[in-house]
Amino acid sequence: MRLRIQAFYLILCAVAIGTVRAQLQPVFAFQKDDTSIKRKYFNEALQKKSTLVNSLADKNKKDYKQAYEDMFEMVEELLISSRSVTEQAADTYIKTVAGKIISSNPELKGLNVRVVFSRDYFPNAYSIGDGTIAFNAGLFVYLESEAQMAFVISHELAHYYLNHSGQKLAKYVALKNSDSLKKEIKKLVKQEYGVMAQLEKMVKSLTFDIHRHSRDREEEADKVGLQFLKNSGYDGQAFISTMELLDKVDDTSFFSPLHLQKVLSLPGYPFKERWIKKESSIFGAMNSEEASGLTKKERDSLKTHPDCSKRIALLSEQALKIAGQQFLVDENLFKKLKDGFVPEIMEEIYRQGNIGYHLYQSLRMLQDNRYIPLAVYSVARDLNRVYEHQQKHELGLITDTESRFFTENYNEFLRMLYRLRLNEIAELNAAFCSAYKNQMTGYEGFSAEMIKAVRYKSSHDN
Amino acid sequence: MTVENVHKASPRNAAAIKEGSEVKGYYFFFISDKIDKKTNEYTLRITDDNLKMLKDVKFQDSKHVYILESSFNGTDLVFLLYNDDENTFEYQVYGADGKKKHNYLRQITKKEERYLKLTYLAMNDDDEQYKGLYPIENTGFISVMPSREDKDYTFQVDYFSSQKKKQWTYTPTEGGKKFVGDYLGNYNGVVYLEVLRYGGAFDQKPDSYILGLNLETGKKLFEKPTDSKFRFYPASMSLVNGGKPYLYGEYFDVDANIMKDKSSGFAFWGIDEAGKITSEKYVSWSVDMSKYLDVSSKGKIEDFGFMYLHQIVQTADGKIYAVGEGFKKVASALGIASTILGAASGSRGGASMAKIKVTDMMLLTFDQDFNIKGAKVYDKNSNSVEFPSGSEFVSTPLMGKMLKYYYGGFDYAYTQVNKDLTSFSVCYSDFVREKGGYKGGTFNSITCTDGKITTDKINTKSDAKFSAVYPSKQGQVLIMDYYKKDKRLEMHIEKLN
Repeated sequence: MRLRIQAFYLILCAVAIGTVRAQLQPVFAFQKDDTSIKRKYFNEALQKKSTLVNSLADKNKKDYKQAYEDMFEMVEELLISSRSVTEQAADTYIKTVAGKIISSNPELKGLNVRVVFSRDYFPNAYSIGDGTIAFNAGLFVYLESEAQMAFVISHELAHYYLNHSGQKLAKYVALKNSDSLKKEIKKLVKQEYGVMAQLEKMVKSLTFDIHRHSRDREEEADKVGLQFLKNSGYDGQAFISTMELLDKVDDTSFFSPLHLQKVLSLPGYPFKERWIKKESSIFGAMNSEEASGLTKKERDSLKTHPDCSKRIALLSEQALKIAGQQFLVDENLFKKLKDGFVPEIMEEIYRQGNIGYHLYQSLRMLQDNRYIPLAVYSVARDLNRVYEHQQKHELGLITDTESRFFTENYNEFLRMLYRLRLNEIAELNAAFCSAYKNQMTGYEGFSAEMIKAVRYKSSHDN
Repeated sequence: MTVENVHKASPRNAAAIKEGSEVKGYYFFFISDKIDKKTNEYTLRITDDNLKMLKDVKFQDSKHVYILESSFNGTDLVFLLYNDDENTFEYQVYGADGKKKHNYLRQITKKEERYLKLTYLAMNDDDEQYKGLYPIENTGFISVMPSREDKDYTFQVDYFSSQKKKQWTYTPTEGGKKFVGDYLGNYNGVVYLEVLRYGGAFDQKPDSYILGLNLETGKKLFEKPTDSKFRFYPASMSLVNGGKPYLYGEYFDVDANIMKDKSSGFAFWGIDEAGKITSEKYVSWSVDMSKYLDVSSKGKIEDFGFMYLHQIVQTADGKIYAVGEGFKKVASALGIASTILGAASGSRGGASMAKIKVTDMMLLTFDQDFNIKGAKVYDKNSNSVEFPSGSEFVSTPLMGKMLKYYYGGFDYAYTQVNKDLTSFSVCYSDFVREKGGYKGGTFNSITCTDGKITTDKINTKSDAKFSAVYPSKQGQVLIMDYYKKDKRLEMHIEKLN
């Protein structure tokens, strides 16, 4: 009889666990990178560097060599790290779109390029100068069409085709070795008075000059890139919509704004308003832009890119005349990648150590009820990392501080993070884990984070 | 934040810009360029509370100009500059937008300069901080400085308006007497100062009184002696129990010799705008304190010494907390040797035979009527401060003040209170020598949140020429390191636990 009862409980237990597991989504499966592709791209970049270095003339050879080494270091850092996406489907997709543009534009044929997605969260794409072009997933997730994606690639291909990096490098090396600059520096070293004022004037003038050229190159890349887009069969309006998107992308996000009171109202541990209460400001009268001491003209001269509105105005007439398709390669895969990239970006933020930002985004994921249970696990894990760093007074190493350049929503979150006392972080996470423990049963890693959270909390109980 | 090209820096060249006890930003004042043989370029950098730069104000002035002090009154900043070539004090007032508003110049006579060099200006050292410039919320600043008037060794109180160009001066004189004056605070249009009036150079029982001045005109409103049933020497003033002013400090028996005898305890006096004492509370070492601490029959707390009360804070639940720090007179080997050698050579020694040993921190808890409810000592390593010759004859309360204001000898740094009064942090520095472990400076805090006390310690050792800690936003501190060789100032914000 006793054996029968035990067997009954075992069956009941198994059914219960089975039920819970059946309700729980599997542990998030991150994209698996293809290391052979990484190696291939790396070797190609290495080969390109050797070609560049071996073809150098004697004049200023050392400076050019150093610049190529630095460039390769950047490429290596992207390709070898977890930042680059070489998962088969994603890699094939971006390669196909880039290949379509190259094959449609005869001048691009024979260019040795590698276009790769990166898991970086900031909305950007860039040509490194050796044929490697990075397309941040942080930009891709905001795009609406393959045509927009194609314009971004076309723009970066134009930079490479027009040798903008090479021109920039040549200008820098020439300036560095110019007799007039050497003479001026020599004079300054000997000068006793007014050194800083003179130096500041010199740096300002050089910076303005460099940035003016940079803006000119952006406009040129837009123009040539639009032509590449047209020849590829994509809709020219994608140029305008991409520019409009870039103009407001800093205020955009793939999650809705965080309501801390809502997402952190936990049973047994109520949210405290004082964590986020904004302090009054006495510097309202001080315009931060004017405070830089620069005139409006000087501030504009410091921009590396022209304003998006100006870029649209320059080419909109041409763009509107280009009829073409929104999707030419694979609409479904585009959408699938957009969705799949979000947790990829999130995990990369965590890997790169900006735990504060990762926690902010994880709370927003949780609030929007997306990527559950990954979001819950991420919040518990991040709060423990925050606790551990704060205990060593190293919170500043893993999180940003409030800034006028951030959104008010993110600043509010940061305010809370910096106001939470050590014991409050522990209590908050213990309450959070307790609130989600039933829902998270069986999720890999969650119970370990919960055990830690409870242990941290108990250390403050006395 | 890192500031390059800082030719000279000291802790007083930077401070938090506060509104009440909330930090709103910081300013940094430094020489940024040399213009010619006689002129420097100075930069006043204003940042927000996250150290993000808001403005650099640059101006040229004589290379003989030094910044002595600065203060912020909630709307405006004042800098006290001293030109040792032209013998002038210059008070420069800036708005929170970084624009210069007013300038006040004070010419110092030769006689005054000599006295200031023995007193206020004698602390011209990187590690010591001046203390003579106080904010009056939203309206102006009070400056209190030692001064000479004919035969009087006295002090001068100046008020500088920050709203419009307006100033008044008050200097007590009585023909051949000596006055020592300290600013206590202001309340409802009255400036409160604690004054010690000495009959002569060797007077061992100075009169103590509270001086009330009209904030608008500088006219004397009252003089209230602090001798009552005891001899009371107020050290500070705080607004508690609904924002009313209370004076606090040590008290002595009426017959006590304050040069030698220990105090009987400490007192809290409520005072109104007319100088009327509204309440008196005396907390004795022997009866009240001994319930919570190991106090000897003579009123001495073992290994603690005397107590200087730095600050009192009232939290939202009505409880009052007093922050104290211990100090005691001990014999100085340097002073004794100096005196013996001086006597042998027929001259007076340079160092006092006594030195002050600064001991532990103490947090006392009271109810709203100042009945003591608890006391706790927080251990720290003691440090010693050598006093100049003659200081062995200085009274204990005055010695505490000298230690605080003239020698910067206490380890206490500041107390920060949250606006909603649910939490405060008492911050102080220490120096530790752990066997086989860390050796160097530490920054410590005692935090009370919703009545629960926690402590924290941050190691501040670095290769910098000096490190200074400033208040920051709630629950945080700003640490500034100056690297002289690299002409570089580095600042980072740390969160307290």
